[in-house]
Amino acid sequence: VSMAKSMSLLWGAGSPPCWRVMITLEEKKLQGYKHKLLGQVGLPAFKHGDYILNESTGACLYLENQFKSQGNKLIPDSPAEQALMYQRMMEGLTLTDKLNSVIYYEWFVPEDERHDSAVKRNREALAAELKLWEGYLQTVAAGSYLAGAFSLADAIVFPNIAYAFRFGLSVGHYPKLAKYYSLLRNRPSIKATWPPHWLASPQGFDILKDL
Amino acid sequence: MAQDMTLLWGSGSPPCWRVMIALEEKKLQGYNQKLLSFEKMEHKSQEVLDINPRGQLPSFKHGDTIVNESYAACFYLESQFKSQGNQLIPDSPAEQALMYQRMFEGLTFYEKLNAVIYYDWFVPEGERHDSALKRNKEALATELKLWDGYLQKLGSGTYLAGPSFSLADVTVFPTVATVFRFGLSAERYPKLGEYYALLKERPSIKASWPPHWLENTKGQDTLKDI
Repeated sequence: VSMAKSMSLLWGAGSPPCWRVMITLEEKKLQGYKHKLLGQVGLPAFKHGDYILNESTGACLYLENQFKSQGNKLIPDSPAEQALMYQRMMEGLTLTDKLNSVIYYEWFVPEDERHDSAVKRNREALAAELKLWEGYLQTVAAGSYLAGAFSLADAIVFPNIAYAFRFGLSVGHYPKLAKYYSLLRNRPSIKATWPPHWLASPQGFDILKDL
Repeated sequence: MAQDMTLLWGSGSPPCWRVMIALEEKKLQGYNQKLLSFEKMEHKSQEVLDINPRGQLPSFKHGDTIVNESYAACFYLESQFKSQGNQLIPDSPAEQALMYQRMFEGLTFYEKLNAVIYYDWFVPEGERHDSALKRNKEALATELKLWDGYLQKLGSGTYLAGPSFSLADVTVFPTVATVFRFGLSAERYPKLGEYYALLKERPSIKASWPPHWLENTKGQDTLKDI
């Protein structure tokens, strides 16, 4: 626990990358780190002593490796589960990109370069991506998440799934994703780090409702 | 061990190259492999789809275990074969932290490169804009300066995470090699040039060098003015 005192995090509320690091810190029983909320989006700036880890997946991997024997084990031992964990973790970054290309289209693309055809294509790509994840979670149940027991894959991906539902994703269209979401939203590390403004205003946006 | 492994790959694809470097470094030569052509759309063939529903390369199997994402395959191989070949994740927390940081920044570097050299592959004709390509080139130049700066800080003859070759080099070198293949000026980016010259002689990298780059040593000049 005193290890956490040499850690600091600059974060944005609701930002999946920031949330990933916060979930991992909770899972590794590293509560007590210094933190400063910068706003509602943005990327994490994480320091452990003099070591800087601003890439969220990198920070999570570093924390699991440095604090292996503390808190919950986040990388499975069995080769098959380990492989699946790494695979889903990295696929989570593809999911992030496809979500961002729909939700933040106008942030990323200057007005005179926008095309309806691009918006349509990005939405179709996101729908195809979400169907893949719906398939990955066919047998989701308590204790049986993206690679078996809760792992780094879930720390990386859950924030994106929560984000998708916040932006209106239909529970009816994606029942397995919805089950994954409802099973994990009460996990202590996730409850403890839930974006504060999402608690204040539970109703989000609806950009993804027809996907 | 290697004979239970199969890699489907494309020549010059950095994600494929990453896995091949890792296999060499872990002394897993002798794996089954098949070279496929992106141009002939072979990455969308049934053979690939059977392993990788995304229809992407690399597609990698170890026995019944499938790991297609290149970084995932690298992590898996290092973890499963820790005591074999070269150690690819440093022990020291400082180097380890830097390794993870650079690995994931490496994904951004790769995206920014693709946004320039494969602009026409990714963007349909009716959606292309000179303003977008210009912006992508500027973003790539900024990114390249950043990496040149990282190497400058560490000093000559070092690797991306410090004194030891690591997964940061396995995952990022292929992107660096690609920028020079596409005509980047080593004079403008001297530290990247030195890093490239140092690593291209490494056995695992020589052994996995893209075959079509050997057949045709002259690359493109898309990046010569960046």
